[in-house]
Amino acid sequence: MYIVSDILIRTAFEGLRDSMSEIITVKDLVEVYSDGTKAIQRISFDVDEGQFFGFLGPNGAGKSTTIKVLTTLLRKTSGAVTVAGYDLDKDPKEIRKLIGVQSQETVVDGDLTGKENMILQGNLHQMRGRSLEERVDELLKLVELSDVAKKRAAFYSGGMKKRLDLASALVHRPKLLFLDEPTTGLDPQSRATMWTYLGKLNKDEGITIFLTTQYMEEADKLCRQVSIIDRGQIVASGSPSELKQEIGADAITLSFAEDDERNGGAKAKARELLAAIPGVGNIVDSDSGMTVYAKDASSMIVDIVRAFDANQLHLSSINLSRPSLDDVFLKHTGHRIRTEELVKPPSGMRFRRGRR
Amino acid sequence: MSLMFDTWVLFVRAIKKLIRTPILLFFSLFQPIIFLVLFTQLFKNFGQLPGFPGGNYLQFAVAGIILQNGFSSALQSGTSIVDDLTSGFLQKVLVTPVNRSAILLGRLLSDAFRVLVQSAIILVLAFALGATVVTGIPGILLIFLTVAFFGLAWSGISLTIGLRTKSAETVFGIGGTLTFPLLFMSSALVPVGFMPGWIQTVSKLNPISYTVDAVRVLTSTGFDWGTILSAYAVIGGIAIVTLGATLYLFRKVVS
Ligand SMILES: Nc1ncnc2c1ncn2[C@@H]1O[C@H](COP(=O)(O)OP(=O)(O)OP(=O)(O)O)[C@@H](O)[C@H]1O
Ligand SMILES: [Mg+2]
Repeated sequence: MYIVSDILIRTAFEGLRDSMSEIITVKDLVEVYSDGTKAIQRISFDVDEGQFFGFLGPNGAGKSTTIKVLTTLLRKTSGAVTVAGYDLDKDPKEIRKLIGVQSQETVVDGDLTGKENMILQGNLHQMRGRSLEERVDELLKLVELSDVAKKRAAFYSGGMKKRLDLASALVHRPKLLFLDEPTTGLDPQSRATMWTYLGKLNKDEGITIFLTTQYMEEADKLCRQVSIIDRGQIVASGSPSELKQEIGADAITLSFAEDDERNGGAKAKARELLAAIPGVGNIVDSDSGMTVYAKDASSMIVDIVRAFDANQLHLSSINLSRPSLDDVFLKHTGHRIRTEELVKPPSGMRFRRGRR
Repeated sequence: MSLMFDTWVLFVRAIKKLIRTPILLFFSLFQPIIFLVLFTQLFKNFGQLPGFPGGNYLQFAVAGIILQNGFSSALQSGTSIVDDLTSGFLQKVLVTPVNRSAILLGRLLSDAFRVLVQSAIILVLAFALGATVVTGIPGILLIFLTVAFFGLAWSGISLTIGLRTKSAETVFGIGGTLTFPLLFMSSALVPVGFMPGWIQTVSKLNPISYTVDAVRVLTSTGFDWGTILSAYAVIGGIAIVTLGATLYLFRKVVS
C-alpha cells in the first residue's frame, strides 16, 4: 500500500517535471547537408530549464550543426525538436524571441562602437529607448567593457570581441542561451573570466545555458549535465561526476616506444601481460598506446613496469590519473579528443592591458 | 510596424558603416568627379561641332555622369551583403525575430540613399562648373527620384551576383567589367548621332541610354514626359527581374 502510493506519487511528479521543466527536447534529430555530409546521425536529448548543459566533442563532431538547427538557422532533415516550449517547425519566430545566441565565429560589427553593436541587437529584438539604454549599460559593465563602450569594435582585442558578442546575446534577457565554443582561442585568463560570467548568468539570473566545447576541463568545471558527441552521435550523457564514476577506476595510460608501437604484436603481448595482473579492469587501445583502468592503480604500476621489462616491451611513458571526461570519451569512442593548443592568443591582444 | 522599425534600424546601420569608411565613398565618387572635371575639359570643343545637342559638352555630359555614378555605386551593393554573409552578421540578425523583408529593404534603401547623396555632390560640382538644370527644383527632385530608382534596379544585379556566388571579388569583377562597355555604348557621354552605326544600335538597346535621356531632358530641355516615362518603364522592367532574382535567392539564404 505504502509502496504503491509512493510509486504513484513519483510517477505523477515525474510526469509533471517532464511537461514543465524541459526547455529543449530533441528526438531522433538527423541533419544531412546538401552535399551529402551526415553531420548529425540521429541524436536525442533533453535539457531541463535552469540547466547548465554541455555538448562536448572534438572538431567536426556536429556541435555547431546542432546549435544551428536549434537556433532556427538551419532546417533539420528529420526529427522532432522543441525549444523554449515551441515547436521548431511551427513557431521559429517565438523561439527567436526567447533565445540568445553566440556563434562560434565571433560576430561584431567593427564599424560600430561596442555600445552601438548592443543597441542594434536590442533594436532587432524590438527594444528601444531608455530601458534599452539602461540594459546595455548594465551588460557592458558586467563584461567590463564600459570604458571602451564608445570605441569602434574593430579596435577591440579578440577577448573583448568575444565578451561583446556574449553581452549582445543577452540584451533581450533570453531564457535560454546558446554558446558555441565561447572560450576557444582565448588565453587562460580570458577563459577564466568568461567562466565566471557564465556561472553568474546561470546561477544568479537563472538563464539556461547550452554550451559546446572541445575542452573537457571546461565541461567538467561548468556543466551540470553533459552529452558527449562524436561523429554526429551522442556516445554518453550524464553529469560529469556520473560519467566519471561510470569509469569506476583510475586510469593508467601507457605509451610505447616508437618501434614497438609500429609492431602490432607489442600491443597484443602487452594486453596479455596486463590481463594477468590481478585487479586490472578494462583495457582500451588509444592512439599511441593503451589505457588500463583499475581500482587501486597506484600499487599496480610497479607490477606493470616489471612485467613489461621482463618481456622486452619498451614503454616511453606511464601515467596515472583519476578518471577525466577524456577517459569517458576514450571509453566510448576508442580515441581521445584531440586537444589542440589550448592557448592561441587572439590577434590584437597586445594592447589590452594599456587600455584598461 | 515591426517592418518599418526594423528596416529603419538596418538602414541606419548601413549608413553609419558607409560614413565611417569614407574611403569607399571617396573611391566611388572619384571616378565621376574625374569624368566631370577632366572629360568636360578634354571634350570641351566637341560642343562646337555642328549638330552637337545644345552646343555645350558639360551641359550634355552631366546627365551621363550622374547615371554613371548611380550605376557603379549600385554595383557595389552586392559586396556589402557578401560581407554580412561571410562575417556571420546576417546569421546573427537571422536568429533574432527581425522582420525578414526588413533585411533586404534596409540594404536597398541605404543603397538608394547613397546614390542620392553622391548625385547631389556631383550636381553641385556641375553647377559650380557652369551646368544648369532648366527644369528647376522640381526637375532636380525628379532627377533624384529617377537616379534612385535606377540605382535600386541595378543594385538588384549585384545583390543577385553576391547572393549567388558569395564572393565579393566576383561582384567587383563582374560589376567593373560591365560598367565601362555599358556606359560608353550608351548615350551617356557621346551623342548617339556621333557614334558609328553598330554602337548606335547597341546604344539604342542599352537600358542605360533610356535613363540618361530622361535625366538629360530634365537638365537641358524640359519636362518631356514621353522620354521620362519610357525610362521608368525600362527601369521598372529591369527592377522586376533583378529584384525578383534577389528576393528569390535571399529567401533561399534565409530559410
Ligand atoms: N555547410 C556545410 N556543408 C557541408 N558539410 C558541412 C557544412 N558545415 C559543416 N559540415 C560538416 O558537418 C560536420 C559537422 O560539422 P560541425 O561544424 O557541426 O562540427 P563542430 O562539432 O562544430 O566542429 P568544430 O569543433 O570544429 O567547430 C563536419 O564533418 C563538417 O565538415
Ligand atoms: Mg563548431
